[in-house]
Amino acid sequence: MIGGGAGGLITSSKLSAELSEEIKQEKVSITLFERAETQEFQPGYLEVAFRGTEPQKLRRPTEKLVSPGVKVVHAKCASLDLDNHQIVTEKNQEKYDFDYVVVSTGCSPDYSQTPGLREENMDFYTDADVSSRIYKTLQGIKSGRVVVGIAGLPYKCPPSPNEAAFMVDEYLRRHGIRKNVDITFVTPYTRIYTAEPINQVIAPLYSERDIESRTVFNTDSVDPVKKEISSLEGDTVKYDYLFLTPPHKPASFLKGTNYSDEDGWVKVDKLDMHITDHDFAFAIGDTNNIPTSKAGVEAHLEGIVVANNIAMNITGRGTKHLFTGRTQCSMETGFHDATFVVGTYDRPVEKIKPSKINYAEKKVMEHIYWGSLHGHYEWLFKYHFKQDYFSESPAKD
Amino acid sequence: MTTYNIDSRGTACPGPITDLIRSYRKAANGDMIILLATDPGVIPDAKSWCGATRNMLVDAKEKDGEYEVTIKVTAKK
Repeated sequence: MIGGGAGGLITSSKLSAELSEEIKQEKVSITLFERAETQEFQPGYLEVAFRGTEPQKLRRPTEKLVSPGVKVVHAKCASLDLDNHQIVTEKNQEKYDFDYVVVSTGCSPDYSQTPGLREENMDFYTDADVSSRIYKTLQGIKSGRVVVGIAGLPYKCPPSPNEAAFMVDEYLRRHGIRKNVDITFVTPYTRIYTAEPINQVIAPLYSERDIESRTVFNTDSVDPVKKEISSLEGDTVKYDYLFLTPPHKPASFLKGTNYSDEDGWVKVDKLDMHITDHDFAFAIGDTNNIPTSKAGVEAHLEGIVVANNIAMNITGRGTKHLFTGRTQCSMETGFHDATFVVGTYDRPVEKIKPSKINYAEKKVMEHIYWGSLHGHYEWLFKYHFKQDYFSESPAKD
Repeated sequence: MTTYNIDSRGTACPGPITDLIRSYRKAANGDMIILLATDPGVIPDAKSWCGATRNMLVDAKEKDGEYEVTIKVTAKK
């Protein structure tokens, strides 16, 4: 396993459970490469940024999240050579051979694409500490214009820019200063939320809450002197405070390989996540190029499918599972209401009305998150998702 | 002039429009973007996008359940 985030942890946990006998007999070993000593609950960055949650509440030591039977190597991957079945780490250029490999290295903000953005922007994607800068800034706002939205594609957690708009609005209303502050949401898409059923749900809320939207705005650059964002077409938006979602990039060692696209996203089969032409190698979560949301829930569900299939190949037991593209992203719409973006490869996103029940459900998922990385709540995932995140393949290979 | 051939077949909204926007960012005025998709929403989305960005929709056609949209990049500053 390369990467110890949501995808890497659930995959290694499920593998260690499915292969416990083989691990005891020393026929199988599982190694997780993860450079960080602590992990963060990334969906919580919004709470840090817009509600002032302390960053440390989002952190857990990596070692405590790893299941028994999984060895952790705290090193960054320098290269992955699929032809020679070899990983090389940056630390001392150590080499590791493997029979199976799963890449789950996520993605991160790429400020290099947008001149001026890094200097002016505060985001809720980099880490919890960076997110906390937004809350400190919010506390000082008396008047002006806050600009939120999407500065480039792709990015992780599709609903999060809209959630930011709603949560800024909530903060300003709760503090009695909303009338002094304009909020503008920018997006390169043709709608406020790109999927029409969800757009129909949230566009009226933008009108009700007096949040201005600038659709089809392709952010090109930010001018820190003029306090102005320019689009590729030369249109501009003024700002006083900028909380934009930057475009994201995959881990650097993936770019330029023969198994990734020109931007470094790993090319995989969308049903079983095997890397093109390599049936022993897989990429899950944000780092692959399948047409689903870049979100933790995807990494989790894909990880369960991949772990099942690797265990099946090793033991000869069970059936092969195929991922359906199921997504389940919560979208907070402010004041403790939420909707969900739910769909599969074959089933369009549903129109779900925001409610307090949905918000409570989102909170339940937050509370079980750390335990879910050990695979403790797989029964709940199967029940909640009605098992439609995988189908069973008639063939065993 | 460069032609960007984008294959978004098998992806539902927002796949095709996301692929279009990512290619557009790399393109220059005069370049062509040819977008293949199976999602029927691609044609109204592309028309709306071209109208709003002031790029030129050259062609949009359907054949055997697949859609091909051709756009000439004209609106970059």
